[in-house]
Amino acid sequence: MARLLVQLKLRLLRNALNSSTAARVSFLVSSYGALIVAIGVFWILCLLRGSSVSVDLTAIIFTGFAVGWLVLPIFAFGLDGTLDPAALAPYPLRTRPLVLGLLAASATGAWPIANVLGLLGVTVGLARGALGLVVAVVAVVLEVLFCIVLARFVTTSMAGLLRSRRGKDLAAFLIIPLVAVYEFFGQVLPRVIADGGITVASLNGVDQWLRWLPPGLAAHAIQDASDGHLGAAVARLGLLAGVVAVLGWLWVRALSHALVTTDASTQSSGVRGAALPLARYGLRGAVAARFWIYQRREPTSLVFWGMTVVITIAVSSGAILGQQRHPGVLLFSAAFGAAQVGYLHANTVGLTGPPFVLEATALTGRRTLRAYFAGQDMVLAAIGVPLLAAVSFGLATVAGRPMWGFLLTAVNLAGLGAALAVSNLLGATSAYPMAKRAGSPMRQAAQGYGGYTFGAVLANAAAVGVAATPLFVIGAFTGAHPAVIPMVGLVLGAAVYGLALAWGGVWIAAREAEGKLPELCQVATASTL
Amino acid sequence: MGAPAIEVRGLRKSFGDKEAVAGIDLEIAPGSFSGLIGPNGAGKTTSLSMMTGLLRPDAGQVLINGLDAWADPVAAKAIIGVVTADARLFERLSGAEMLEYAGRLRGMPADEARSRAAQLLDVLDLTADSKRLVADYSTGMRKKTSLGCALIHNPAVLFLDEPLEGVDPISADVIRRLLTRFVGSGSTVLFSSHVMELVEQVCDHVSIIDNGEIVASGTTQDVRGGKTLQQAFVDLVGSKASGEGLSWLGSSSS
Repeated sequence: MARLLVQLKLRLLRNALNSSTAARVSFLVSSYGALIVAIGVFWILCLLRGSSVSVDLTAIIFTGFAVGWLVLPIFAFGLDGTLDPAALAPYPLRTRPLVLGLLAASATGAWPIANVLGLLGVTVGLARGALGLVVAVVAVVLEVLFCIVLARFVTTSMAGLLRSRRGKDLAAFLIIPLVAVYEFFGQVLPRVIADGGITVASLNGVDQWLRWLPPGLAAHAIQDASDGHLGAAVARLGLLAGVVAVLGWLWVRALSHALVTTDASTQSSGVRGAALPLARYGLRGAVAARFWIYQRREPTSLVFWGMTVVITIAVSSGAILGQQRHPGVLLFSAAFGAAQVGYLHANTVGLTGPPFVLEATALTGRRTLRAYFAGQDMVLAAIGVPLLAAVSFGLATVAGRPMWGFLLTAVNLAGLGAALAVSNLLGATSAYPMAKRAGSPMRQAAQGYGGYTFGAVLANAAAVGVAATPLFVIGAFTGAHPAVIPMVGLVLGAAVYGLALAWGGVWIAAREAEGKLPELCQVATASTL
Repeated sequence: MGAPAIEVRGLRKSFGDKEAVAGIDLEIAPGSFSGLIGPNGAGKTTSLSMMTGLLRPDAGQVLINGLDAWADPVAAKAIIGVVTADARLFERLSGAEMLEYAGRLRGMPADEARSRAAQLLDVLDLTADSKRLVADYSTGMRKKTSLGCALIHNPAVLFLDEPLEGVDPISADVIRRLLTRFVGSGSTVLFSSHVMELVEQVCDHVSIIDNGEIVASGTTQDVRGGKTLQQAFVDLVGSKASGEGLSWLGSSSS
């Protein structure tokens, strides 16, 4: 069974290489990524040799790997066929050989091998002496085994949920913390370190509680063995092996259960209220009502808003942290937030997908198209304006310049107007199909349309930059000082300016979309969401 | 006999080198229950998409109750209802919200849309699930919801693409009874299907399409020509599989 499932995994990997160009590129990028991680982690662990915090950092890295193994399979659930017990349920397989087979299949591939090779850096960085070396190798094997069994137990226990609509929603929401972590390491942490906020000394004792978690047990076992405390090292490894055994036992139970249990995909909860809000206000109200419901119920929409907030805050870190901090960065982040809203909604037909065909039956001319675009803009503004304003005032306060909140909100309003105008225009003239690929909870441009997404980013950035330039100039010359410029008047003026831009966008987009509805329907039906 | 409810002349569509619809002509009388049958890839969906204003034809004319679907799409769309093969519904609306939204898109007052939605949900046996998200509906429930969306404005002509594909017998019966009642009131239905028994039972007019061409069209009785519709269809379109091979298949060998 183990051999068969390993062959299946290798066949799936080989097929990825022989299928579409996109799949091949994705496979090669993933393999190179694994190689870089293996070399990088090995190198970092080697550098820890002689450091006072080597065991602390090793424990953190080991824990980081475990978290990665825990989270990533939830995303890759639809991608790796061997993760879903339902695919194996129809066959006459006994649970224990199946578990061993799945374990072997999990250990097959570039990433598991990269994990082992990378973590073996502890043989240089943390281990000392022959005994330390032997314990380090055993610890790394147990750590990787722990990661695999943990990931398998969690995905098998959650298989019914992950296969269901709600499970896929859950996977989509995980994007927000992942983006936050990525932005933290990419934008915030380097500035904090440069500012002296975090030093090597700060890491002392950071693993007070990590040492009692399985990855920490592995790291500390290596140090114990290197210090000559063989008993303690063996005890820690024994405890870790026990945890792995318990997890393995739980996995067998979960698998036995999953093979004979229906999934949760047909269970669902109801919604409150049966009527559409705003539906009394004509076509614009009906479209706004539908779009408003989608902003609340469609996880991708919520993820878009979450990403807008996270990235806007991360971009503004240059105004708050570091020796080179400058308030001008706040203006840039305010414009960036507005452009982000426009870019994420720039392809309304493709994002709506096949149901757009139903809406197209009502779009009979310029007037109805204006109502369609305006209805969506109203919802985006109703959410975007207070959200961006709250972020702007929060950032201005944290940066020690609360009055800048008004100026930043003015940039938000002008920028949002320009972004909505551009996104509507692009939606009418350059609509493209979207696709939800296996293994990814998010919608992406369909194969061959990646350039459209890039174009939407550039167009929104340019439009918002141009539209907000007068406010940048005002900021530069007045310093957003209320004695120089009335702030409420500035915000109101920017609101009118943004509204005019957005309304102009609605008019032009409606004119462009008129007569193109069959083509827009084709784009919508080509979307696979 | 008055003007046809659906009149198609020289309708043609190509995708690159592939000619999907090769200039079809069709006439469906008002009050007719008409079936469009053909093998996979014959051009059924492409033809229905062009007839309903969803796919621009390369050439040809489509008249719905005398209104040119491409010269005056607004007027034509107002009197038709469309159920596509892949029920194109807003997954994150509840069934009740979906039907009400369809009514609002058709310009109906909110109260009227809400009232008709409730009645349709009742007839379609969806009232108990009306507050569940469409995303959680079964195939049969989705088809019934899609039919409700297409009927909410009481269209004169209804187009359905594979309305019973993947639908359980109970839901299929509900759909069939509703369509029969709809046609009985003088409205017109044109639907594509693979289910020959259904077409034979309910349709008074049948057209067979193959390789983008109408190879037979007329009353169901005329097209059958004394045979079952299944047999007439196979005789016209032809079966390519030989049935040879698979000598190992069966209980006598392993």
